[in-house]
Amino acid sequence: MGEPLYFITDLVHVYRGQAVLRIDRLDIPAGSIVGVIGPNGSGKSTFLKLVGFVEKPTAGEIAYNGKPAAPFALEVRHKVSLMPQESFLMKRTVSNNVAYGLKIRKDLDRLELRIQTALSWVGLDAAEFAKRPSYALSGGEAQRVALAARLILKPEVLLLDEPTASIDALSAQLIKDAALKARSEWGTTLIIASHDWQWLYGVCDRVVHLVRGRLMGSGRENIIFGPWEPGPNGLWGKVLADGQRILVQKPPEALSAAVIDHAAIVPAERPIPNRDHQVSLSGVITRLALEKASGDIIGSVLVANLPFTTTLAESEVRENGLYPGRRVQLLYDITSVRWF
Amino acid sequence: MDFLVQGFLRAIELLFAGDAETFSAVSATLVVSAYSLAATLAMGLPLGFCLGYFDFRLKKQVRVVVDTLLSLPTVFIGLVVYAFFTNRGPLGEWGLLFTLSGIAVGLTILALPIVIALSATAVESMDRQLRVTLISLGASRHQLFLSTLWEARLSILAAALTAYGRVMTEVGIAMMVGGNIKWQTRTITTAIALETNKGEFAMGIALGLVLLLIAFAVNVSVSTLRKRY
Repeated sequence: MGEPLYFITDLVHVYRGQAVLRIDRLDIPAGSIVGVIGPNGSGKSTFLKLVGFVEKPTAGEIAYNGKPAAPFALEVRHKVSLMPQESFLMKRTVSNNVAYGLKIRKDLDRLELRIQTALSWVGLDAAEFAKRPSYALSGGEAQRVALAARLILKPEVLLLDEPTASIDALSAQLIKDAALKARSEWGTTLIIASHDWQWLYGVCDRVVHLVRGRLMGSGRENIIFGPWEPGPNGLWGKVLADGQRILVQKPPEALSAAVIDHAAIVPAERPIPNRDHQVSLSGVITRLALEKASGDIIGSVLVANLPFTTTLAESEVRENGLYPGRRVQLLYDITSVRWF
Repeated sequence: MDFLVQGFLRAIELLFAGDAETFSAVSATLVVSAYSLAATLAMGLPLGFCLGYFDFRLKKQVRVVVDTLLSLPTVFIGLVVYAFFTNRGPLGEWGLLFTLSGIAVGLTILALPIVIALSATAVESMDRQLRVTLISLGASRHQLFLSTLWEARLSILAAALTAYGRVMTEVGIAMMVGGNIKWQTRTITTAIALETNKGEFAMGIALGLVLLLIAFAVNVSVSTLRKRY
């Protein structure tokens, strides 16, 4: 991987008097694919707007290519492009929407051909779509046009905020393919916020986890929000929808968030040796994904209505038949729970 | 009713005969309304953009002031402008009293709050994602301003039309600041007022018809522009 393209230090962003994002240090290498995961309201969109230089952070510094940069700065204005979650198209034709960025750069060389190419990358036929007004597009088509408007600029950095949310499967796949093609053809750095963690783990060099505006780690951590209630034996707990109880040691505050870094999975029918501090929860494997960077298998287990993520070895999956749909026991050590 | 019919027929005759006095008033009206609209848009659009786009302290209070100025009485504007431009006034040496330029200044004061208020509302009601999109596509601050106005073009056009309608039909300012001087500062509306007082309905109706025709032509042009863009 190359030199850091972004170097973020002591970043704080305040919205309506409340700190919504706080990142002490983060670097992103050029040409990498970085995934950002986290629950709704965790600061993913804010993070993308800041590294997309659409907004200025309240405090701290975002260095781009070694130099501190801010919105409208020449060093970043024509290099970094963000596609927001709700793609917005201007009241113009598809062709004019796609060409907007080039027109304001006064880069009109072979414009029609470049529009055709950009549209073809997202699976749209220019002959059919170029003259269409933006209001005559479906949600998926609009999202693809919005991406084409960025791809035509061949950006150094492409930031995608939930690019496949609320659109049809075909559009989602075309958007994913086009983004990866930009990376492979031009070395574009991709920073993608998405709930589709299977995709992110499959394509990203690195996945970061944002919770309540703070970086938590690689995204494999399980964050369980309070409130916590006192339970038996001096432990505290949270009752799930199916009556199971997540047990923890006394939290710093009743509303603190618990972090379970690692949980083991064993088939439901297998007897578990009785160990101190070990908690067992019953759940169902819902998804498996191969993490590109490590080669690990990431499994998702649904316990009541709460999804848990855990890392599995390939042999473990094969030998124990840990496939989606299999009922399993999820085990974690109560003393390893961190608080956030 | 006869005098009205006769007035109408005489009006048609005056218009087709190219009556110099009638066309002098038409010309004066077109000149002052064009000047004032140009000045109003040049000042009002940036101010309206700022008022609608940016969040700043006292924004609500500024908005209330602008909205209040929408109902500013024209005779009051005429009085204030007259006081400033009269020989004893602070701007007396500019020599703008009883000139078309003087009327245009008064009409600009009249139309400015309309353009500011309506364009601010237009910008305020734009999708918040527009800003993110434009910056993400590489727009500079200047391009952001122009592209935002372009996206709000239909509402801006409506604001300009409303302002134009107001200045075209205004009487008080034109009468007080212009003095209703024949061949010089007599506009369509001041001429209609004068001719009606004199009982000369033909000229009044002729000028009224011209006002209607201008309004019709402007609206047809705007409608064509809206379809094209």
